[in-house]
Amino acid sequence: MTRLTGGLIDRSKPLHFTFNGQGYKGYAGDTLASALLANGVQLMGRSFKYHRPRGVFSAGSEEPNALVTLRDGARSEPNTRATVTELYDGLTAKSQNHIGPLDRDLLALNDRLAPFFAAGFYYKTFMWPRAFWEKLYEPAIRKAAGLGELSMLPDPDAYDKGFLHCDVLIVGAGAAGLSAALTAGRAGAKVILADEDFQVGGRLLAESDLLDEAPASDWVNRTLAELDSLPNVRIMPRTTVFGTYDHGIYGAVEKVADHLPVPGNHVRQTLWRITAKSCVLAAGAIERHIPFADNDRPGIMLSGATRAYANRWAAAPVKSPSDPVAIFTNGDDGHRTALDLIAKGAPVLGVIDTREDAPKFGDYQLFSGSTVTGSKGRLGLTSIQITRNGQSSWHDVGALAVGGGWNPNVHLSSHHRGRPVWDDTLLAFVPSPNGPKGMHPAGAAAGQGGTQASLTDGMRAALAALTEIGVMGAEITLPKAENRPSAQEAYWHVPGKKRAWVDFQNDVTVKDIALSHKENMRSVEHLKRWTTLGMATDQGKTSNISALAVMAELSGATIPETGTTIFRPPYTGVSLAVLGGGDTGKHFRPTRLTPTHHWAESQGAEFVEVGAWMRAQYFPQDGETHWRQSVDREVKAVRSSVGLCDVTTLGKIDVQGADAGEFLNRVYANMMGTLKVGMVRYGLMLREDGHLYDDGTCARLSEEHYVVTTTTANAGPVYRNMEFAHQCLWPELDVQLISTTDAWAQIAVAGPKSRELLSRIVDDFDISNEAFPFMACSELTICKGLRARLFRISFSGELAYEIAVPARYGHALMERLIEQGRDLGATPYGTEALAVLRIEKGHAAGAELNGQTTAAMLGLGKMVSAKKDSIGAVMSRREGLAKDTRRLVGLKPVNGAMQVRAGSHLFTKGTEQNLSTDQGWVTSSCYSPHVGGYIALGYLVNGDTRQGEIISAANPLERQEFDVEVVSAHFVDPEGVRLRD
Amino acid sequence: MSKSSRPISLIPKEYVSVTDLTPITALGAQTARQETFGALAITENADLGIASLALRKGQEAPMVFGLTLPDVGKISGTDGTSAFWTGAGQWMIMSVGQGTSDFAKAVKDEAPACSVTEQTDGFVAFELTSDAETLERLMTKLVNLPASAFSAGCATRTGLEHMTVFLVRPAETTLTVIGMRTFADALWHALSTAAKRLET
Repeated sequence: MTRLTGGLIDRSKPLHFTFNGQGYKGYAGDTLASALLANGVQLMGRSFKYHRPRGVFSAGSEEPNALVTLRDGARSEPNTRATVTELYDGLTAKSQNHIGPLDRDLLALNDRLAPFFAAGFYYKTFMWPRAFWEKLYEPAIRKAAGLGELSMLPDPDAYDKGFLHCDVLIVGAGAAGLSAALTAGRAGAKVILADEDFQVGGRLLAESDLLDEAPASDWVNRTLAELDSLPNVRIMPRTTVFGTYDHGIYGAVEKVADHLPVPGNHVRQTLWRITAKSCVLAAGAIERHIPFADNDRPGIMLSGATRAYANRWAAAPVKSPSDPVAIFTNGDDGHRTALDLIAKGAPVLGVIDTREDAPKFGDYQLFSGSTVTGSKGRLGLTSIQITRNGQSSWHDVGALAVGGGWNPNVHLSSHHRGRPVWDDTLLAFVPSPNGPKGMHPAGAAAGQGGTQASLTDGMRAALAALTEIGVMGAEITLPKAENRPSAQEAYWHVPGKKRAWVDFQNDVTVKDIALSHKENMRSVEHLKRWTTLGMATDQGKTSNISALAVMAELSGATIPETGTTIFRPPYTGVSLAVLGGGDTGKHFRPTRLTPTHHWAESQGAEFVEVGAWMRAQYFPQDGETHWRQSVDREVKAVRSSVGLCDVTTLGKIDVQGADAGEFLNRVYANMMGTLKVGMVRYGLMLREDGHLYDDGTCARLSEEHYVVTTTTANAGPVYRNMEFAHQCLWPELDVQLISTTDAWAQIAVAGPKSRELLSRIVDDFDISNEAFPFMACSELTICKGLRARLFRISFSGELAYEIAVPARYGHALMERLIEQGRDLGATPYGTEALAVLRIEKGHAAGAELNGQTTAAMLGLGKMVSAKKDSIGAVMSRREGLAKDTRRLVGLKPVNGAMQVRAGSHLFTKGTEQNLSTDQGWVTSSCYSPHVGGYIALGYLVNGDTRQGEIISAANPLERQEFDVEVVSAHFVDPEGVRLRD
Repeated sequence: MSKSSRPISLIPKEYVSVTDLTPITALGAQTARQETFGALAITENADLGIASLALRKGQEAPMVFGLTLPDVGKISGTDGTSAFWTGAGQWMIMSVGQGTSDFAKAVKDEAPACSVTEQTDGFVAFELTSDAETLERLMTKLVNLPASAFSAGCATRTGLEHMTVFLVRPAETTLTVIGMRTFADALWHALSTAAKRLET
């Protein structure tokens, strides 16, 4: 054990866990990383490319090395950072990315082959033979590379989402965040204080600094207690604000139950969308390292992390308590680590400071003007080489703390293309003053990293945020912090011939950057892609600035001249499960059920998704083993007796007003204003560009009241477009629109016996052909008093009606019609039969109105009225459209057993088949029980004059080509007698 | 908020349907669904008459059943009959116990110069009752609204689980979620799932 004294762990709550099957003990308040370190475990994984031994490098979410697979079975989660994994009793973790035991990884061979894996090796190596890429190279690389593996089992846990609104969102609950929260909270603003850590306090928990001459945790606890007592403040630990989005919206993930063995009744995580009037970015800073030869061994970690493990978690990063720790730094900050370790009783070799005039702050050995130039230790650090003025010496150590300065956490401030700005004094990029609107960087995130400076800056930022949103705030009394020296020099890496790692997670070294420079991949964007630097899951949090500095040195430019990178959301990885919002399977998206859905279910209907709708596709009967048998039967029933189909899904738009007729004249291509009351008219709508948009019927119920029906797919868009036309194009018209799609259950009653069936349910209403002819409509009552609407319209080509009743009666009406029509052979039919019936009749549907077709192509060019203007009318007459000679035709395979597929292209028989000879395409096809074979509809050049011609239908995707005869699109009753009978 | 709405019993009896067909609820049952989740109850109000009312061009807003039609984002009326704003010159008028009557006709009688459209079966109404704090916690999981600002007397249209809904808050302790009828099952799932999670 290398457990030190003190710390913020709860020694009264021991926790047991395993790593690679070995049992260990930690305490409440530990992370997996701190607990492993306290147990003398340095080796935690293998590197991505070279399979080098790796140990913990940081103490936070920036961790590039200590990635483990947490839990087992379906809950197994790869690539989990041990540094932010809250320890719980029974935790199980495994190292990853190795073959064989962790300490004897067979793939460590890769390290010997390192010269072949230099920057850009993918692009250079796996070029030939080309076919090998997919079958050999990629699978082999994927097998060898990568880190953890997915369980491939369904996630058993629940996830949630939610929405929060606040005046001030404070990201980060360290010194700056807490002072900002106090300032805003006391001012009465609605505050959300979010921190990714499970324990609030940020670096105040990691440092030994006193506040008002007492441990900083005392002030943290008092502050938290006050904030907790304020009803306007919401404290959200374990919550990572991962992204800045438009309009003051921030994405955050709260880990609700990740610290529990199993979530139990809890959701595991919640995705929060936070809408904030203003934001204080108090996300702190991330320390950078100083690359030197062989700097990636377990036991080498960031200086600030070493302090955090010692002070907060009472753990020394060594295998044995007697192993000394060395500190390598370019500034005063590194010396604090030596002082803290000494205070904890941990042996310290000394501080290696790159500065010639490095100060000494305590009783430790100082190696001024020196650098670390090498390290040894197969599975963990055993010694380092210290070099001064070319003179080197080796020293035994158990760990090395490296501190090269701090980089403000600018990530969230750069999500809106706020490019960070270089600060030559701080030797770091700070948030752009032109960052996201309403965001106020504070504390270390703004380059104000000292404790007192952070506290003050947090208050300043909160006051600025409050002023911005019109809330009166006041300065608060802040605790007094110790004044710590923070001088540093610009020292970015130790030159040398051996490999010095810059990006640990993606195994990118200084040599790789030099090679990238040599190969002219010098812009930051090229450097990243050539070397993969900064492109691992940590987004280069510990490497990007160091890499820039190396590139600057190579190019002789300054760092800001060399460039910078901005960050994209998410700040840290977000699981797809929580992004999905929680619902899976059939609840993944909401579905719409028709008024007769439950009845159809009881009849054994098969359903099909049509947009959000679930529609009955067909109704299989006993003995029917193939869907075609059911559909053929349903089609025949409509043609011979009467069929019933729920057509509620068609859009219904109620149009009223003195100018309703004029409005519809402008929306429809054909005339609607002249429609007589009590009649229905088929209508075409065009897009502004003149192409067909939608078709349907328009019924005039009274002088100033119409009901427009749309296709199912376009119910929403047509209503939206009509609203746009009403509100923006012609606001002067007196017209009122509202959707009534859901209000009415509408059932198609189709077939030669439909009139007889309807006559059995209508109340004193004459539906004879004379009194209620084709295209008539009326309001009436049925079934002893129920208000209803009846339309005599036909999609099938048969005598047909559509009857609408308030939706709650749809189920009962369907039952009644079936019951009343039993002797007539009344048969329910679904969308498949509906499609067959309309293809047989040559009626257009979505396949024919696909956005590329015109009224003329449907043979309905004359419907685009020249007597009035309407949306798309002028554009429909432009040359490009008017000269299109393709026309809707019917197609019958010469060999009736062959099924011509929709999407097939049409060619004059015997011609070469290419784009220039293309004559059109097949839009719809089906088996027609009426015809007794397969039929199709399609658009064909000059199709209206080619009836009887044999042409070729080619479908290269299906390797099909056969002869089809051009026929009338109306396979059933071309004269239209039946529907008028 | 006006509380002077006239009793809906003034709606003529002949407007009540006398069909021999049996209606079902939006959730496909004979009776309205109700379920309790700890301190929260969700009740389907299957007998709510709804009609939309839109002003003709240049019209002044009329009184409907004694109600002053409310301003943007507000409701008027509390018990029995109420109205909420849905758009410029547009409102939904609602009346409890009028699910099977021709409520639109009754509204048209009240405002004959306006455009009135039957909406009773266009929607499903779920009434959520609990203490204000619980309702607001639930809202944070369902809708992107500042829950505490959506106080009694407010109404709005918003998105909920990819569905469009009206939210009406007649009282601190009641929140009515009015969604498209054909989405009733999906809406119930969304509401009940969120309600169950409040219990944990």
